[in-house]
Amino acid sequence: MKGLKISKKNLLIIAIVVALFIILGSLIPGFLSIKNLLNIVRQSSIIAIVACGMTMVIIIKGIDLSVTGVLSFCAMVNGLLLLKGWPIPLAMLAGLAVGTLMGLFNGLMVEKLGIPAFITTLVVGNVGGGLALLLNAGKSIGGFPAPYVFMGNGTILGVPVSNYIMILFVVVTSILMSKTRLGVYIYAMGGNETVVKQQGISTATINFFVYGFSGFCIAMAGILLSGQLDTVHPTQGEPYQLDAIAACVIGGVSMLGGEGKVYFALIGALIIGVQRNALNLLGIHPFYQNIFVGIIIIVIVALNIHQKRRTIEHSKIF
Amino acid sequence: MSTTQLLFSEKVRRFVKRNGSVVIFLILAIIASIFVKNFFALNNFLTIIKQAAIPIIACLGITLVLMTGGIDLSLGYTLGLCSITVGLLVKGVGLPIWLSIFITLLVGLLVGFINGILVQVVKVPAFIVTLGTGYIIFGIAQIVSSGSDINRLPANFRAIGVTNIFGLNTTVLISLIICVVMYYLLHHSTFGRSLSAFGFNAKAARMSGIKTERLNISVYMICSFLVAIAAILLTIRVNCAQPTMGGGVYTFEVITGAIIGGASLFGGIGTVIGSVFGVLTIKVLENCINLLNVSYYTYQAFQGIVILLAIIFENVKNRRL
Amino acid sequence: MKKTILEMNAITKFIFDEHGQPLRGTTVKILEDVHFDVKEAEVHVLVGENGAGKSTLMKIIGGIIPADEGEMLLDGEVITFAGPRESLAHGIGFIHQELNLCLNLDVAQNIFLGRERQKKLFIDKASMYTEAREMLLRLGFDIDPKTMVRDLSTAQQQIVEIVKVLSYDCRIIIMDEPTASLTKSEIDKLFAIIHDLRRNGISIIYISHRFEELKEIGDRITVLRDGRYIGTVDIEDFDYDKIISMMVGRKLGAMFQSSHQVQDEVVLEVKGLRISRNTEPINLYVRSGEVVGLSGLVGAGRTELGKSIFGSRTYYGGEILYMGEEIGGLHPSNLIEKGVIYLSEDRKLEGLVLDMSLKDNMTMASLKRMYPKTKIDFKREEVVAQESIDKLNIVANSVEQICNTLSGGNQQKVVVAKWLLTNPKLLILDEPTRGIDVNAKSEIYKIIDQLASQGVAILMISSELPEIIGMSDRIYVMKRGAIAAELTDKREFIQEKILSHTL
Repeated sequence: MKGLKISKKNLLIIAIVVALFIILGSLIPGFLSIKNLLNIVRQSSIIAIVACGMTMVIIIKGIDLSVTGVLSFCAMVNGLLLLKGWPIPLAMLAGLAVGTLMGLFNGLMVEKLGIPAFITTLVVGNVGGGLALLLNAGKSIGGFPAPYVFMGNGTILGVPVSNYIMILFVVVTSILMSKTRLGVYIYAMGGNETVVKQQGISTATINFFVYGFSGFCIAMAGILLSGQLDTVHPTQGEPYQLDAIAACVIGGVSMLGGEGKVYFALIGALIIGVQRNALNLLGIHPFYQNIFVGIIIIVIVALNIHQKRRTIEHSKIF
Repeated sequence: MSTTQLLFSEKVRRFVKRNGSVVIFLILAIIASIFVKNFFALNNFLTIIKQAAIPIIACLGITLVLMTGGIDLSLGYTLGLCSITVGLLVKGVGLPIWLSIFITLLVGLLVGFINGILVQVVKVPAFIVTLGTGYIIFGIAQIVSSGSDINRLPANFRAIGVTNIFGLNTTVLISLIICVVMYYLLHHSTFGRSLSAFGFNAKAARMSGIKTERLNISVYMICSFLVAIAAILLTIRVNCAQPTMGGGVYTFEVITGAIIGGASLFGGIGTVIGSVFGVLTIKVLENCINLLNVSYYTYQAFQGIVILLAIIFENVKNRRL
Repeated sequence: MKKTILEMNAITKFIFDEHGQPLRGTTVKILEDVHFDVKEAEVHVLVGENGAGKSTLMKIIGGIIPADEGEMLLDGEVITFAGPRESLAHGIGFIHQELNLCLNLDVAQNIFLGRERQKKLFIDKASMYTEAREMLLRLGFDIDPKTMVRDLSTAQQQIVEIVKVLSYDCRIIIMDEPTASLTKSEIDKLFAIIHDLRRNGISIIYISHRFEELKEIGDRITVLRDGRYIGTVDIEDFDYDKIISMMVGRKLGAMFQSSHQVQDEVVLEVKGLRISRNTEPINLYVRSGEVVGLSGLVGAGRTELGKSIFGSRTYYGGEILYMGEEIGGLHPSNLIEKGVIYLSEDRKLEGLVLDMSLKDNMTMASLKRMYPKTKIDFKREEVVAQESIDKLNIVANSVEQICNTLSGGNQQKVVVAKWLLTNPKLLILDEPTRGIDVNAKSEIYKIIDQLASQGVAILMISSELPEIIGMSDRIYVMKRGAIAAELTDKREFIQEKILSHTL
């Protein structure tokens, strides 16, 4: 019964994607060229990587609103260190560490003080945004070492390096979620926190891991983005907040917690990427894209909640 | 004798508990007066008040929303939309000033109505609704303005905000009037009482005959309405209508003010005096950072740390009491 | 003679204050000097009215709460459990009425949650599925362990829970009203499992309200009443009337007085109301100056009926007439204006705003009436609140005291004061005396009587039979979401009689 429902939902997503491609392919010359498609995937990789962490956070009924600030800040830390002549891996490690720490801090606030996730992540995001501006007095930086830029823009076997990194993230996250204890606990916590506590599973571990991992993903996305653009601008993370949430929501990650698959969040990210790319090619201004994404999020969440309420209503018996 | 004393100390304790931001503000002001050069000057105080006047209006709006246990992340973008709306109407379209302002306020009400309906009727969590509508509103503002600002607004329009009456700037005066009205609404009317009850326990409030549905929607409308007023005044102040006015940073600043002012993230608690001094506290900080010639960006990062401290402090205090 | 494996002696549990600390000074106790024992391979049924202390006793065995006094012996050794996990480690499994499963995980994941089989870094799904499948098959159930728990029927979910508990090698399984939401065929399956378990040497503590079940599966029956141990009966000696008289038999104190007169005017009339899609329609009426008792077990639909009338719940068809006018679906605020009020059974969640002061709570339902121009008159408010405090003997420092810091009885009086201030004409009282001490109870009874004398119509939902009998002019008994009986003759108001209608 359930298997059928899931596949129905999946089929729907796939059908939408196929229809989207057919329509866009016939509308826009060059849209379906391999080059453009790979380019879309490359652009989507940032969203997809952020969505990996975001999926987990939403599964435990949280949300991460720190994307904008943390993404820019980590990229800035990493970028400045690179320009100072630090070795690439070390600079990246520093950026990733900063992101992870900020995520862990979110986990701490949620777990220990019971502060709503949307507030603590909003605050941490703003601190990050402020620090990103502060670090280089609000100015952009650029001109990174060639191997670093290669990570963002180069190709291996004709496929952008970014895409490999994205696939690595998606696969690792997916394995983590479906094949490890921690993954089961994350789902369990989204489904029924009481049971999790009763079984003696530490919710602190889950909160720390999930928010920390989300911070890590955001940092990675920031670093990759700076490689793609060969620039770090202190407010560069701006669009990715909404896009990452949209990717999750489109991919069927439920805001009510407990449900969602990383693979589908990836599809969600690609849909967002396609949407942005196509509207760009069609000459439609990004402003419309924001409106579109905003509406999509609200509508899908509303439908999700409505459906849930109906099932609860129907399950009432005497 | 002893009972009255006890009552007095109890009153002080309650005042401090309710209006912690007044104490914080005073401590900060004293420290700043001692350590920051040029801080302790009438002119500087007037500057702080002028700078705080507009955010206070918006902050009182978000205070109401926080009291319901909700949040309005679209606040800053609504500010931008209303700014460009009034600018376009006054200068671009050339409508009479009163009509332009009227329409702008309607736009504010409409935004609030949509937020409120989505939160109350469609039952989507407030942070999702307002995150989404925020981007939508931002997009609309950009489209309406074609991405450009409107400078040099008509003088008779600007007069609304920059005239001096009895030595007081009209912007400050309007802000003051709004504070008084909101004080009455929140602390002396059944609206405020109902709002508190709703924020603490929506179920019990509804079953005690409070029209919680209407209340919840109206709160978002009042918030956006106040934001529209703030937008008009800010547009006048900077003499430029911008779609990018406000934004996420502004939302955050206003929420910070409310939280320093003691508004609870879990609903039920919020005061006008608290929020006013919450904003004043941030503005004193900003002022000091200016006077000390430190980068403005320090302030933005600093503000986040202040709000964190306020939240943690609030949390610890509530656990103790 | 079977071996006794678990023994509880002189167990006492006090009521507790808002910080969860036991209040030793009061005469009200949740459990007092209770004895209970479980033998090897038996089904021990625990019965008692609502509030008799069955759940509390089970929570003590399950390690969820500690006993304040008394000792628990497992295999003859004194033992205390610090938490449910410890109890589980000692072979005691607890199947709650509200199932403790993650609906979004599959069967095997639920069974093994917290102790997944590992193969190096990863969980060993294959062996978990095989093991889970074996366990299910051992009980005779062909449930695919890969199925999501949400897609199982309630009975199947219960089976998953049983399998989960059994997989901890439990010797004693506590089942709290397991049949409450099962269909007949599902119940038969469950009973087959219980027989199986017993054959395999496992003991079961079984809480139920349904007498017809007891004979079928029980070996012994223990009766609790008002937190006290009444007795244990072997199933061979099972006698319906005897058990019922053990469950009731409380003396009616001189707490109840009746000075009111029932009048002819019908204030509330409910016609053909269904509280759920699959329940029988409900018909009832309440007259002016009449106290109508609404009896029944927890979950019989009494609260749902009350809330349906008070616009706080959707119902499925039917009419609600108040003084001849249809009031179905109106908002509580309109109903309060008309004089209809509902006092909730859940004081903390629906009755009071605990974080607000006495006076704020008292005036909350009358804001519109007291201040039609919306401006609050603080002086008047204080006077009104103080009057209520005096009238109802509320023990409080001042009208500004926060309700959180009041005792249960005083909190309830605040709720009563709130409703009295609205000048009601129809009161729906849902467990008006739950969790409050004897003095407060008798004062509330007095108020109810006074109101009825003034011509107010009262529908009183209560689980306490003496209260229902002592106060009511007429009694409705509810069962499975519908009215099972109406008792009009006061000579019929006997606890045994009412109870037999509820079961």
